[in-house]
Amino acid sequence: MSDIKVEVRDLKKSFGSVQALKGASLTVKAGEITAIVGDNGAGKSTLVKCLTGLYTPDSGEILIDGEPVAFSSPKGSREAGIETVYQDLALCDQLSVWQNLYLDRELTAGIGPFRLLRRAAMRDKAKELMSELAVNVPPVTRSVKRLSGGQRQAVAIARGVMWAKGMIILDEPTAALGLNETAQVEALIRRVVDTGQTVLVVSHNFEQVKRLTDQVWVMRGGTVVGGTRTAEVTNEQLVGMVTGAIPTVELAGTTKRKR
Amino acid sequence: MTTTEPMSALGVSRSERVREALRRFGTEDAWTKLTAPVALVLLILVFSILKPRFISWPSITSMLADSTIPIVLALGATFAVTLAGIDLSLAATVALGSVTMALAYQAGWPLVLCCLVALATGLAVGALNGTFIGWVRIPDFIVSLGALSLVMGAGLILSQGKPVLIQEQALTAISTTQFGGIRLNFLIAIGIAIILHVVLFHTRFGTHVLAVGDNPEAATAMGLKVSRIKLAGYMICGLMGGVGAVMLTSYIGSSQPATNTDYLLKAIAAVVLGGVSLFGGRATIYGPVLGAILLTFLQSGLTLLGVSAFYSPLVIGIVVIAAATLMRGRK
Repeated sequence: MSDIKVEVRDLKKSFGSVQALKGASLTVKAGEITAIVGDNGAGKSTLVKCLTGLYTPDSGEILIDGEPVAFSSPKGSREAGIETVYQDLALCDQLSVWQNLYLDRELTAGIGPFRLLRRAAMRDKAKELMSELAVNVPPVTRSVKRLSGGQRQAVAIARGVMWAKGMIILDEPTAALGLNETAQVEALIRRVVDTGQTVLVVSHNFEQVKRLTDQVWVMRGGTVVGGTRTAEVTNEQLVGMVTGAIPTVELAGTTKRKR
Repeated sequence: MTTTEPMSALGVSRSERVREALRRFGTEDAWTKLTAPVALVLLILVFSILKPRFISWPSITSMLADSTIPIVLALGATFAVTLAGIDLSLAATVALGSVTMALAYQAGWPLVLCCLVALATGLAVGALNGTFIGWVRIPDFIVSLGALSLVMGAGLILSQGKPVLIQEQALTAISTTQFGGIRLNFLIAIGIAIILHVVLFHTRFGTHVLAVGDNPEAATAMGLKVSRIKLAGYMICGLMGGVGAVMLTSYIGSSQPATNTDYLLKAIAAVVLGGVSLFGGRATIYGPVLGAILLTFLQSGLTLLGVSAFYSPLVIGIVVIAAATLMRGRK
């Protein structure tokens, strides 16, 4: 059990009359890159938001390192060492790069309630970190609004990487990126895993899933319809699983979740 | 993550830094920051050419003293506007604060306590606004419009519409004592501005106010307690209304139960002139301060030129719309 980082059991979540998750289950192995694929509206983002505490599931269980957890806010998952890079990046446009990197985790100095920001320290560290992580380094004092799409993505990912203690979740990390930037982000994700972190990626890009991940789970209509080792599946099969053209249960039979 | 690999590091070269500086100069960002100071300098130049008496020291001292209440209220409004909101009840809070202060005074409370009552009144109105905006999630405009009427009514009921004389040496001293030719009330306003500058730009809370005003969804995703931050922001705004109440009572020497909407108008106008984004998330403190001084100077200058006082709301209205037009579409 110790090599299972996250286990999701029969997760359900409705918004009004819309059932976004109808009992989704999956596992994420520690130290691996796991992908969730699925069409629009399959429930991927809802599942991710339940994992990070942004949504509270209606029923079902989430286990992290074997322990059941119930996060009531994103703070909870963060304290469990899980960082999330959201699809919309969750950046404050008018704040600078360094302010975004340190949002809610600002460095301060002082006594008791009279604590002042260590702006210079945060700026310097942010600069160091950004130049380590990205080729296309934006000036850290520039407001996020003035960055290119790739740079914004780099800032959001850098924030996840700098704070993750065990796991990082990326929701469509390369959706807005060109080929070069995508390659950089993928290299970065590999490096993150090399340092012993667990990565969960939501992706639309099957080639990327094939290139990058160890395990893939397929979602359709609010449930996880199957999962397999990425190496054992072809691109075409993945497409078939997502669209429902291939009955996934057979295909995933060998490695399907053990229950 | 401290591995350094070929994919990393393309340091910021000097030429890039120069380009960055040039690029910044041309942006609206620079323009909005420069609007208030440049307009203030122009206004002083024009009025002193038309009426040299305008820049005499006594005239400047008294104009700065007059700008005290607009400055304090503009500082409060800055917090509401930075949160992408607005507080229409600000001027009514000033009236109610002065009424509760007078009630405490009539009850024989010590003067310091009376002032604290005014401040507490402001905090309470701010808490009311903040609670309904942050938790009940009613739009700020509606909440503070309701609060405007509610607070105004409370002030009238409590005072029966009658002003109460508060003629205490210590209180009037706030508006009359001078230090180096500058009145104490203005110095207090500047002191508060400095404190609020530190709060907004050098504390975690201030950063969170900017973040919530900029993008509440992102702020939530990053674990900020949006409702709580909004509450605190509106309480600061209300508190400034309370400070305004003390200043006004000190200046007039009696409580003022009637709401002077001119104060609200000027506070919002000063915030707009100061380059604070009406969409939230971007602010300065010196901007609204300069904006408030600018509007006061404008009003005094017009009076000095013999223009009827009836024209001053008209002129302020034009200035505000012009400033807002100049800064439109910034986000």
